[in-house]
Amino acid sequence: MLELHSFHRIWCLAKFELVRMFLTKRGGMAIAAFATAWFLILYYVISTANDLVSSDTFVTIAYQVFSGATMREILSWPVPELAVFWVVAVYSFPIFALIATSDQTCADRSRGTLRFIALRATRAEILFGRFLGQVLILAVLIACTLTATLLMASFRDASLFFVGLIKAMDIFKSILIAVMPFVALMAFFNSFLRSARLAIIVSFLFFVIIPLIIAFIEYKLGINTYITYLVPGVQLSDVINQKNLLLNSYVIPIAQVCGYLLVGSVIMKRSSL
Amino acid sequence: MSTLIQVKGLNKFFGEKHALNNVDFDIEKGSPVALIGPNGAGKTTLFSILCGYIQPSAGSVSVFGAAPGSNATFGRLAALPQDAQLDPRFSIAHQLSFYGQLQGFNKKKSSIEVERTLELVGLSDILNEKPEALSHGMRKRVTIAQALMGSPEIVMFDEATAGLDPLHAREIRQLVASLSNEVTFILSSHDLNELERLCQQVLYLDKGVLQHNSSISENIDFSYFTLRMEKQESALIDGLKSIEQVVDVVNSQDKEYLISVNQNQGGAPLDIQILQMCHQNKWSYRQLTNGKTLENTLFK
Repeated sequence: MLELHSFHRIWCLAKFELVRMFLTKRGGMAIAAFATAWFLILYYVISTANDLVSSDTFVTIAYQVFSGATMREILSWPVPELAVFWVVAVYSFPIFALIATSDQTCADRSRGTLRFIALRATRAEILFGRFLGQVLILAVLIACTLTATLLMASFRDASLFFVGLIKAMDIFKSILIAVMPFVALMAFFNSFLRSARLAIIVSFLFFVIIPLIIAFIEYKLGINTYITYLVPGVQLSDVINQKNLLLNSYVIPIAQVCGYLLVGSVIMKRSSL
Repeated sequence: MSTLIQVKGLNKFFGEKHALNNVDFDIEKGSPVALIGPNGAGKTTLFSILCGYIQPSAGSVSVFGAAPGSNATFGRLAALPQDAQLDPRFSIAHQLSFYGQLQGFNKKKSSIEVERTLELVGLSDILNEKPEALSHGMRKRVTIAQALMGSPEIVMFDEATAGLDPLHAREIRQLVASLSNEVTFILSSHDLNELERLCQQVLYLDKGVLQHNSSISENIDFSYFTLRMEKQESALIDGLKSIEQVVDVVNSQDKEYLISVNQNQGGAPLDIQILQMCHQNKWSYRQLTNGKTLENTLFK
């Protein structure tokens, strides 16, 4: 019974985030900025995907950047628009996720709004509810961009729709799982920071400094410490090359999500509101 | 009576500052409780601990037999936290409805609750306004409304009437009085007259130490009268001292006299004698009360 109440509250909190993004003025502006950026990507990059994948210059650059025989496989997908979408989205959505989800509890904490909510939901429920809300928002945005890409490909060649739809669902799942650790990292930062701007700065420092520290420690010790698996996105290059799919696409990101949310909820429980 | 809140050996440190020092008290279900103390006495810290906003450094606190901020307190303990603001991006109705849904109401029942509580604080016409469109006093009344959603058993108001105009402050006092049979209120305020009128139990904190924990009605000291006059009367003290049962008279503050009496001596009832004296001398009085005022009791 208690758990049912808890799920109900988490769902209420998640729904409130969806309303905040899609039905408020500030959320609408963020959506407009996102839509503009993706319009440019769709119009100038993805719409030319069919020509791009047959261009020697592009293929050479893609091999140099992403390397491996799997790149050849990606570029030979029957729907080239989705191949280009995959390469663009797998890196751009995590960066977008970091910025878009930077204010999960910060503003509410500094304004005192969290005190009203904390009388009706546990700290862990607040953290998980907000996380779920942000993931759902990203899911909607990923789905929208994928749908636009699929429609673009179908407009060029209607026979690609069904084969593209199956591939699009696979891409949707992979990208959503890939962005979740970034949202969880922000939920973790939000558990103790009081400003979204500070959360973005701290995350920037995190992605710059932590890999350097890890590299230094591993160089000094001469061993692989595996601490690098703490950094969200560490597996992205392997995901794009589709190596060790189970580990890279599921195990690492889901473990990172669980880890960051767990530590975040412990900090959140102890923090002052 | 059932114990709603139990506090034992409560201590809270903020760095070097000892904000709460070995505080012990129980709050039973019943009449409103006043939490009094000068600025920095630890009132808001105590409120925050009871609401589960901050953790105590030592000691134990239980609300309904559970830890503050736990599942057991949701929907049963409500509060008006000092300085907490609503989200400026959402309408009042949307936010309060969201709080109602968190408390377990469905969307429809939650909307009904929002309308009911806003009606209680006289703001039924601002449902679709955003907080920024409201005055400070109106925003405060909205946050009072959120505390009354559902059927809470404990409602904690930290400075509920501060910043409200006299009319609305009076309405909030009337609201508290009218609901105090169903809800146990814990009120923090600097307005001692307000608390004296509403509350039966007083918790007086000073420098983090609970100096006073008593019941107002049970502890009326009948060896005192408090007389408030229309204006300062120079001959009043000598006049009062001439009454046989009067032991001493102190001009406790402007136009207010604390009369120490010996009730064991016979004669006509003393309050009648005091009023007769005022009448004979054409001294206009405002109020004659049994015992000391809360202010004189706490700050003697």
